[in-house]
Amino acid sequence: MTRTKQRVVVVPCSGIGKALGSVSREAAYELCENLRPHVTELVALSKLVMGDNASRETVARNPCVAIDGCQRSCASKLVKQSGGMRTHTARVLDALRRHKGLKAEGIAELNDAGQKLARVMAEELVETVDALGASGAAKGATYA
Amino acid sequence: MPEDPERKAGIIACSGEELAEGTVSRLAALKVLDSLRPHDTVTLCLPLFVAGGSEDRTFARLHPTITVDGCDLRCAARATELYSNKPAVSLVVNELVAERQLGKPEGRRQLNDAGKQAVEVTAERLAELVDTVLGQARPVSDAAGGAGAPAQREKGGGNCACRSGSAA
Amino acid sequence: MPEGLEMTAGKFTFRVPEDRLYTAEGIWVLSDVDRPSNHIRVGLTDYLQQHSGDVAFAFVKPSGARLSANEILAEVETIKTLLELPSPVAGTVAEVNPALDLTPEVINQDPYGEGWLATLEPTDWGADRAALMTPREYISLIQSLVEEELKKP
Repeated sequence: MTRTKQRVVVVPCSGIGKALGSVSREAAYELCENLRPHVTELVALSKLVMGDNASRETVARNPCVAIDGCQRSCASKLVKQSGGMRTHTARVLDALRRHKGLKAEGIAELNDAGQKLARVMAEELVETVDALGASGAAKGATYA
Repeated sequence: MPEDPERKAGIIACSGEELAEGTVSRLAALKVLDSLRPHDTVTLCLPLFVAGGSEDRTFARLHPTITVDGCDLRCAARATELYSNKPAVSLVVNELVAERQLGKPEGRRQLNDAGKQAVEVTAERLAELVDTVLGQARPVSDAAGGAGAPAQREKGGGNCACRSGSAA
Repeated sequence: MPEGLEMTAGKFTFRVPEDRLYTAEGIWVLSDVDRPSNHIRVGLTDYLQQHSGDVAFAFVKPSGARLSANEILAEVETIKTLLELPSPVAGTVAEVNPALDLTPEVINQDPYGEGWLATLEPTDWGADRAALMTPREYISLIQSLVEEELKKP
């Protein structure tokens, strides 16, 4: 029997109209590229919108972290619609409320406060990723 | 209810976070929205086609749309047609890069020089397409305020489908 | 969402229910639903919440606070700006929406319903009421504000 890897799937908001979307994206990159590169996989929200079967299956079969930019909650809604059953939702707005001084500005290029907010969010999500990954391993979750 | 006299093109970027070309699509769209064609374009948030209300889908049905995809999956083009209406024009970054024989964009978080060049080329092409679909003809760099660094839209100026900012 | 008028500009649609009155600053005032007859309920209009962006924090003067007309009733901080909202009437704050503490984004999600700010007990409703705008007057104001925005370079 081939052993498959467990991964935590991270799905950020794809919004390009607000700084919140940029923070969501940066937080996802920080988590997947720097903090937990070997146990996470970033899935583009656009693929879930389009209904890409491989992406939907990845979301459905693995624990997920959805990072919503604004109150429209596109990432978490689409992860749920794609069959994501074990999903933790993080919201940039909530992170902003916890760290009131970090007012993010800029879309194409986030300001320093926005970059910091993204890093802080990613750091706060590490524990969640570790817990999801561990529970996924315990339940035999597999990454296709 | 007053009729809306403004005719604008809706730009829908895939913004795919997995590839550098997705980053190119997003930055090119933003450049057109903010500096090349700020009065002629709005951005439509692709996920809102599914997760949001009917406003974005309705806009895409009533106004011409231009999709910008990073790769051959064409998520933006296919989803726009699926949920609203066939785009007036579809652009794919990796095809444009090949056509213009540019270097391969790399760095989904921080683009390399080839990626930055791809942003410029894609944005220029997008601006031309905006003019075409709106029936206008003018130089690419012709926009209110002239070409230059993209203006930050944050304060009172967003054209995001998420409804932040002004209605302009 | 109560019945009302609508105005569309591009892909933005602004709703103005016909069952309430309005201030030029973008506050709605509702005077006749499920509460003591001398109380009014207030909140942000759809135009104001769309224009201002996602609400991060909302602070309303506490229950019992006495205000004169146009004195600041609430501060709403969005991701883009800080709104200082004047009270449309002179009176006393009777109740503050408890949802604003943990989920102030309800102002964006349902500005005319669950996103209300406060109920007030007016001191002189007759006098203050006369200064408020009808739905048609308010929608005309929105139209001129949008036209001004479109003129900007």
